[in-house]
Amino acid sequence: MANLELIDVKKTYDKLQVIHGIDLEISDGEFCVLVGPSGCGKSTLLRMIAGLEAITEGKIVIDGKTVNNISAAKRGLAMVFQSYALYPHMSVRQNLAFGLENLKMKKDEIDERIMQAVKLLRIEDYLKRKPGQLSGGQRQRVAIGRAIVREPSIYLFDEPLSNLDAELRVATRVELKALHERLGNTMIYVTHDQVEAMTMADKIVVINEGIVEQVGSPLNLYNKPANIFVAGFIGSPRMNFLEFESLPNDIKSFAPSNSNVFGVRPEHLYIGNEHSLKLKIKNVEQLGSDSYLYGETVSNQNLSIKLNHQTDIKVNSEIDISFEKENAHWFNKDGISI
Amino acid sequence: MSAVIKFFSRTQGHKKLSFVDWIAYGYLFLGFLIIFLPVAWLLLNSIKSQFLLQKLDTNLLPLDYDRVVRATVFGPEGKEIFIIKDLPDWVIYWNELRDEDKKQKNDPEAFILKFDGNEYYALRTHLGLVSKHAKELIKNKNLPEWLIKYPSMFPNAKKDYDPDTYLKGLNEEEIRLLSEFLVLKPYKPNGFTSQILVSAINPDTQEIEEYSVNRINTNKETINARLISNPQGGIVKIPSNEIIVNKKLRPSWINYSDPLTNNVRGMNFDAIKCLNNSVFVTIVATIITVLINSMAAFALSKYRFNGQIIFFIIILATLMVPASVLIVGIFKMVSVTGLSGTLWGVIIPGAATPTGVFMLRQYMLTIPDELLEAARMDAASEWSIFWRIVFPLALPAIAVLAILSIIWRWNDLILPMIAVSTTKTAYTIQLCLLDFQGEYVAQEHYRLAMTVVSLIPTTLVFVFLQRYITTGIATTGMK
Ligand SMILES: Nc1ncnc2c1ncn2[C@@H]1O[C@H](COP(=O)(O)OP(=O)(O)OP(=O)(O)O)[C@@H](O)[C@H]1O
Ligand SMILES: [Mg+2]
Repeated sequence: MANLELIDVKKTYDKLQVIHGIDLEISDGEFCVLVGPSGCGKSTLLRMIAGLEAITEGKIVIDGKTVNNISAAKRGLAMVFQSYALYPHMSVRQNLAFGLENLKMKKDEIDERIMQAVKLLRIEDYLKRKPGQLSGGQRQRVAIGRAIVREPSIYLFDEPLSNLDAELRVATRVELKALHERLGNTMIYVTHDQVEAMTMADKIVVINEGIVEQVGSPLNLYNKPANIFVAGFIGSPRMNFLEFESLPNDIKSFAPSNSNVFGVRPEHLYIGNEHSLKLKIKNVEQLGSDSYLYGETVSNQNLSIKLNHQTDIKVNSEIDISFEKENAHWFNKDGISI
Repeated sequence: MSAVIKFFSRTQGHKKLSFVDWIAYGYLFLGFLIIFLPVAWLLLNSIKSQFLLQKLDTNLLPLDYDRVVRATVFGPEGKEIFIIKDLPDWVIYWNELRDEDKKQKNDPEAFILKFDGNEYYALRTHLGLVSKHAKELIKNKNLPEWLIKYPSMFPNAKKDYDPDTYLKGLNEEEIRLLSEFLVLKPYKPNGFTSQILVSAINPDTQEIEEYSVNRINTNKETINARLISNPQGGIVKIPSNEIIVNKKLRPSWINYSDPLTNNVRGMNFDAIKCLNNSVFVTIVATIITVLINSMAAFALSKYRFNGQIIFFIIILATLMVPASVLIVGIFKMVSVTGLSGTLWGVIIPGAATPTGVFMLRQYMLTIPDELLEAARMDAASEWSIFWRIVFPLALPAIAVLAILSIIWRWNDLILPMIAVSTTKTAYTIQLCLLDFQGEYVAQEHYRLAMTVVSLIPTTLVFVFLQRYITTGIATTGMK
């Protein structure tokens, strides 16, 4: 059980700066998800927390203790790697025991911890097998098991689900969340999948190009994105953005001053003409429960709509759409929410 | 067995042998012959007697010929060459007998008494009785002790002594005995050689007669032969395709048993000691080589440090230096460090090999870094990362290195020559083999047999370790 604090953490690889000063606090027992586009520095940040990567500048504090100069082996954290990184020449049992043996733990205690973890993860039947003889999902569970037996103060996950197929991913997502509830440890979870982030996190940290864009609860980020990047990144399908100048006067009239960009989520648009936007339909997708409409405004900007019912609107038809005032997002010239 | 038959009766798809199958099997067979024939030749030659080897016999099997003995006796009248027929086998094969057979079953002293004249002198030399009798004589007549050592003295030392003065008081037989022993003129050690007995038509008389022949070379049209009934008549040429030779299979197992039981005449050949030394050098050196090379490779492949590339380049650069250039340097190092004459002087100079470091480094580069990071997260020390993760995963490459090292160490001649050539007790098997080709005696038959013995360990090692190479390559896999 531990809380973690990053103070102005920076990382530079041979002059290329990847992390530009990150401040972050994660309190005890929190499930914190680091999310961001590919290459934004999530893994690098996680590896710095783990102690696998040197910290160029700043401080990492665990439970009030600065750990910058403490090696990965001594930080007492556990990490689940994207590729699982199971030791291929050891059986599942040996994989689980390796970390405990290194801590010079007694044999009975090792056995006991392994039995507990194995029951929790339902991998009793594979203990004697080598990783090469397991399916992707089973390996995944062994990798998590290797972290669990250590009983670490903080769990670190680096995209642990990205090698699984969609169905298994949803199932494991639920299991992981349940595991967190049961163990109550601090977990830091890296992903670039915003659905994972939304469903699992107590707290989401959105990272872009080495800086933190916004920190908050999932709904907070959804409802009140701090800037255009977060607004676009959180929520699926993506939020629609329209140039302020191209809006009809009717809409402009209730916009705050300094507005430069107007944003509205596809699910907040409906067919009607209170704040009318004219739209020419280019494509229609019917999913049964929902329908997605894709169209172009008068000023040739793309716009998508999500309807939670089936529709008979045809391609190339022209429709009027509308939205509730309070669902509109406004951003200034620098992309910051107003 | 059925697996072997199945393997060798495989065809390409169709049931019948196709053109490609013929080529493939032909190629396999050719390769087999190229590798196998020299070994088979070595095996068969290793059980040929010294006599056959000296006659450069070209038969595959150890087929021995009927032999006669040609003696050359030196005396005041000059030398006489004659042939002694109908000697028992143990006399003919005397030099090829084991020591215990010489003593137990036969009585040479009694045997030579049946002869007189030059035949007696020839047999006395052949059966090794000259020195025995001469020593008895020196003792009985109270002649000075130095006479016993005189034959083995250097020519310079011989000048200080004058044996002639002691011959005066002796009778004719005694003078002859002592002169033969001391190699004084006009006496010399008498020659006694086995020759091959053949029958052929005498071109003069047109009758079949017996000849003695030094060696049979069927490539030549004629053979040099000596008529047995008239040995003084000199060498005659007889057509090689008309001779009749008696052969019988007679493998010479003493080639093996003599050296293995330290029973080689004229030298102290302790095969067990030689093999022990070689085994020690090979095992210890291979363990040290594997350790040093794998640790160096681990550092070069998995750590980032200043000068990493430079180190690697320097190690590789030593590959370009021919081994022979280093001989003098190694010799100086070995003698300065006091290792010369010990087996460690053989082991240590070759303990780290650039090829091994390079090979292991390249292999270790393919072990994912994430495994090491996972181990670090698992609180493993760098030492246990090496032993428990990297070393087991690099085992296929390490097995290759171990095999190469074992074969190299076992067959190596240069390092033992540099380090222990002056210390007989530290000889490795290869140095011991070299001993058989002395300055005065060439004991090729022992050498061939011991070469075969020295091949056994490397063959076994290869048979047992080769499966690690093949299994290893197939079973690395992370995801
Ligand atoms: N060892 C390294 N040397 C130089 N640059 C590196 C190194 N490791 C990572 N980078 C760079 O740092 C940036 C961040 O990498 P990182 O692995 O943290 O991305 P990520 O957010 O985890 O992306 P993904 O979601 O694709 O895993 C990338 O631009 C990458 O090219
Ligand atoms: Mg990553």
